[in-house]
Amino acid sequence: MPEQAPLTAEQKKVLQEKLQNLSPEELKQLQQQQCIFCQIVSGKIPSKKIYEDEQALVILDINPAVKGHLLLLPKEHYAIMPQVPEAILSHLFTVSKRLSQLLLRGLKASGTTIFIANGLAAGQRAQHLLVHIIPRKEADHLLEVEEKVVDEETRTTFQASIENRFNELIGLKKQVVPVAEKKPESKMGKSKVVAAEDSPRPKPVPAPVKVPSLSKTPASSGKKKSAVPKPIAQEKVSLDDIASLFK
Amino acid sequence: MTMKCDYCELIEENRGLIYQDDTIVIAVKDIAVVPGQVTVFPKKHYTIIEQIPDAIVVQCALMANKVGVAVFEALGCQGTNVIIKNGLSAGQTVPHCALEIIPRAENDNLPLRWEPQPVPEDELEVTASLLREELANLPPDSAKEKELTKNKEKPIPEKPADNYLLKSIRRMP
Repeated sequence: MPEQAPLTAEQKKVLQEKLQNLSPEELKQLQQQQCIFCQIVSGKIPSKKIYEDEQALVILDINPAVKGHLLLLPKEHYAIMPQVPEAILSHLFTVSKRLSQLLLRGLKASGTTIFIANGLAAGQRAQHLLVHIIPRKEADHLLEVEEKVVDEETRTTFQASIENRFNELIGLKKQVVPVAEKKPESKMGKSKVVAAEDSPRPKPVPAPVKVPSLSKTPASSGKKKSAVPKPIAQEKVSLDDIASLFK
Repeated sequence: MTMKCDYCELIEENRGLIYQDDTIVIAVKDIAVVPGQVTVFPKKHYTIIEQIPDAIVVQCALMANKVGVAVFEALGCQGTNVIIKNGLSAGQTVPHCALEIIPRAENDNLPLRWEPQPVPEDELEVTASLLREELANLPPDSAKEKELTKNKEKPIPEKPADNYLLKSIRRMP
């Protein structure tokens, strides 16, 4: 590839303005052109294909967690799961189940992990939705996360919040009365996790945080920011922001 | 199965449930990686995904997607992981197959990632051809077979290989 001279401030400004004026369709088209996995689907970039049909493609991950790590992707470009139409999502999960069977039998794996990352914060590194199907062995030390007992008050607060939004989404009128009054500042102290075997010593947890925009490059996402625990969102999150990782 | 199951218990005790219908249950977990972690599972007890009929797998996935949006919007999180842990060696702690949704924040430092292992081209090709061959010889969906035989009330004996494989996966702490 020919080397490119760095853009001048003026050129950058023009480009940014252009990007802002793009319609969602134009933006999607642009993302597709930039997307490595769209190029794998079209065959412009070679891959180790295991299976394909009209809607889905299965390839070997060339940077696998372990041998036999599979990537299942929709042929159409979608960044995150909520954008995928139901018919395609249904297909992806039935194929996932088959692929799990394939790894159990074909590679004599003793388990499988089916893993999806939505958003940079979740570890998503490609701008194309990927379903990872990873063969597992005992003591392979992959994806080891500790589960802790969530105290009752925190759980019921989170539960009411998620349940209310979910009911709205599926068109149910029922609204749960939150257990605690919603005071944005006082939420910090209430959000705590108690280790199962520990004496109940409150520990602050990094709760989900809302940032205005996710227009960051993957490289910059490694930087740590100070946590501002705020379990209940005060503003709406834009899924488009989360999806357009590389806008 | 008479084994005590945490998720079957959630249903019995109506604990943490935010939704249920004839086939699907959604609950906010009380033992979780982070608060607000949601689990979506079939009402009927299945240990691993291979045992779940496709139609129910699909219903779980579609519901998980809907509740995933609710998690995004209600908690204002910046990302979610959707995970199915299939088998003890995959870190499965409840013997009831489920899709879990873990809300993520940029600074949460959860070790839900892996170090990529660069693999030589020829080794990849060997694995790829092995898997292609195995896929071509993969027996039909056992969950589907079971449903069919149940309808006909004519049980087909399970293959010994099946039993061994499933037993080693079902093994729970």
